Amino acid sequence: MGKVLMKGNEAIGEAAIRAGCLNYFAYPITPQSEVAEYLSRRLPEAGGVFLQGESEVAVSYMIFGAAACGERVFTTSSSPGISLMSEGISYITAGQCPAVFVNIMRGGPGLGGILPSQADYMQSVKGGGHGDYKLLVMAPASVQEAVEMMMSAFALAEKYRNPVMILGDGLIGQMMEPVEFPDALKAKPSNKDDWATNGMATRSRNQRNLVKTLYLDPEELNAHNLMLRAKYEQMEKEEVRYEAYNVDEDYKLLIVSYGTMSRVCRTAIDNLKDQGIEIGMIRPQTLFPFPKTAIYDAAGKKSCRAALCVEMCMGQMVEDVERSVSGQRPVHWYGKCGGEVPTPEEVIEEVRKLVK
Amino acid sequence: MTLQGIISTKSGYFYFRGLSPWVHHFCLTFGSNEDSDLTHIFESGLSRWIRCLSKQLVKIQLKGVVVIVGNYGSGKTEVAINLAVYHKRAGIDVRIADLDVVNPYFRTREAKGPLSNLGIDVVLPPKQYLQADLPILSPEVAGSIRQPGELTLLDVGGDDAGATILASLENEFKATSPRVLQVINPLRPFTETHQGCLKVRAAIESASKLTVNGLIGNANLIDDTRLDDIYDGYRFVSELSEHSGLPLELITAGRALLPSLDMDRFACPVLPIDRQLVPPWQKPVEFDQADISG
Repeated sequence: MGKVLMKGNEAIGEAAIRAGCLNYFAYPITPQSEVAEYLSRRLPEAGGVFLQGESEVAVSYMIFGAAACGERVFTTSSSPGISLMSEGISYITAGQCPAVFVNIMRGGPGLGGILPSQADYMQSVKGGGHGDYKLLVMAPASVQEAVEMMMSAFALAEKYRNPVMILGDGLIGQMMEPVEFPDALKAKPSNKDDWATNGMATRSRNQRNLVKTLYLDPEELNAHNLMLRAKYEQMEKEEVRYEAYNVDEDYKLLIVSYGTMSRVCRTAIDNLKDQGIEIGMIRPQTLFPFPKTAIYDAAGKKSCRAALCVEMCMGQMVEDVERSVSGQRPVHWYGKCGGEVPTPEEVIEEVRKLVK
Repeated sequence: MTLQGIISTKSGYFYFRGLSPWVHHFCLTFGSNEDSDLTHIFESGLSRWIRCLSKQLVKIQLKGVVVIVGNYGSGKTEVAINLAVYHKRAGIDVRIADLDVVNPYFRTREAKGPLSNLGIDVVLPPKQYLQADLPILSPEVAGSIRQPGELTLLDVGGDDAGATILASLENEFKATSPRVLQVINPLRPFTETHQGCLKVRAAIESASKLTVNGLIGNANLIDDTRLDDIYDGYRFVSELSEHSGLPLELITAGRALLPSLDMDRFACPVLPIDRQLVPPWQKPVEFDQADISG
């Protein structure tokens, strides 16, 4: 199949089908409703099920139910909807079920607005729901990358028996770009029969699988949490992904930016290069696990005087960048909230203030 | 107007129809004949270029109320904006109304500045609702349909969902006979087959209570569009036109591709697209103010 022109939201839906996911439960919310729109047409053709829940809370437990049965399943929503799903997400991580959540972020807090935002960084990376849990969070910067991340998300969710979140800003969902779909995901969950409540056909009577989140025995609950923690440590070792841009030059400043915001920064960096100013960039592709070492090394480069965190929110990623830079250089922040995406010119102006 | 004058006009594409006979006339007037060097120079140096322009960039002439419909993401807004600018450049008074109530981003309202600067009348929902995802129709729209002036373009939201808003204007449409043009990009999901396009058409007709009476071919992959995409897309819409009986009004091509396109392949006009709805890291193509003579 050649290239097609797709909206991010449509491409995310198509990528899920091609990754072998035939269960999609969701509740509409701008700016991600096209996923449901698209899948309501495409999933029945592909032999799958799209069911609209009565709320996002309901959806999160529909996901839990299907995932506990060993079904590949995903949902999409936008900021306020993800807040509602957060309880279910906590339960799914506790129950160790694989599932994929997509958040196409809009401006907040509250109802906020419908334009692009990255204000759910903390919610995605540091919790959202209750308890000690983590999501593996991936942040695409293009429609093509959203497709690739979606397709790898199911395999990662199954590898760790933990939900994976795709965190895109509204632009990722709404913009149209040419995309090409990679070959369908071939890997089937190999360990499903060991834990999923998928019927007794494949096992003997005394081998019952149980998915649960209640551990009244404190020792048992502590052990459960230590086991979860070990999974997150393994993610930090094995799943860090990032892109480095213009880092071979002797840059004076290191930008850390992700998602579509990083594309604005890329244009700014190209324009600054024409003006004789070299700027490097690390673009985290996974937000948890965070590319700590890459940022530490890049900020530590001799020519580099400072780091600048550029995001469409009020600086939620700054603490992770500071943690990564580890005091080698000062860390600054620039961003906008509410739907206005900073322009390359505005980023350039900010950079100029710092490198003059 | 001198030949130089015509050629140097950026929007001159539109005036080249019939230039070949004019060149012939020019040669005769200046005492040359068919076999002379001058004719030869004209024929060899400019002929391919002129043939290309004169044959193909045939004038698009839309009048009255023109409703741009199509499936979601087919490129209606980009086409509507560029049609507005095209006609304005040809000296026609143009109004464009944003009726998109289903799309939250990338709407005509985002190109309001450049369009207004060219003297195009842009009709939008009231300012306080501009960024809302609510089905708000400006009362000005009904007025525009009743009194469309020389050309009123209605940029409608995608699919039958977007076209539903047209049904609320049923009374206004009774008095006019609008051209309803379906924009088709065969590189988009759901319209990669003729059957898919006709299904979209039927759904739009049923929701809008209007009849689609023309096609616009808009095959593109934005920046990744190759010449073959335009040729294949043209073939696709031409066949659809034959099959459905709907006339093919025009096809589109990004301005950068135009010089490389073999215009002999097309029997309909080609609308050059100066892309306006771009992500924040790109710049929209600037419309040249000098082209508008007022």
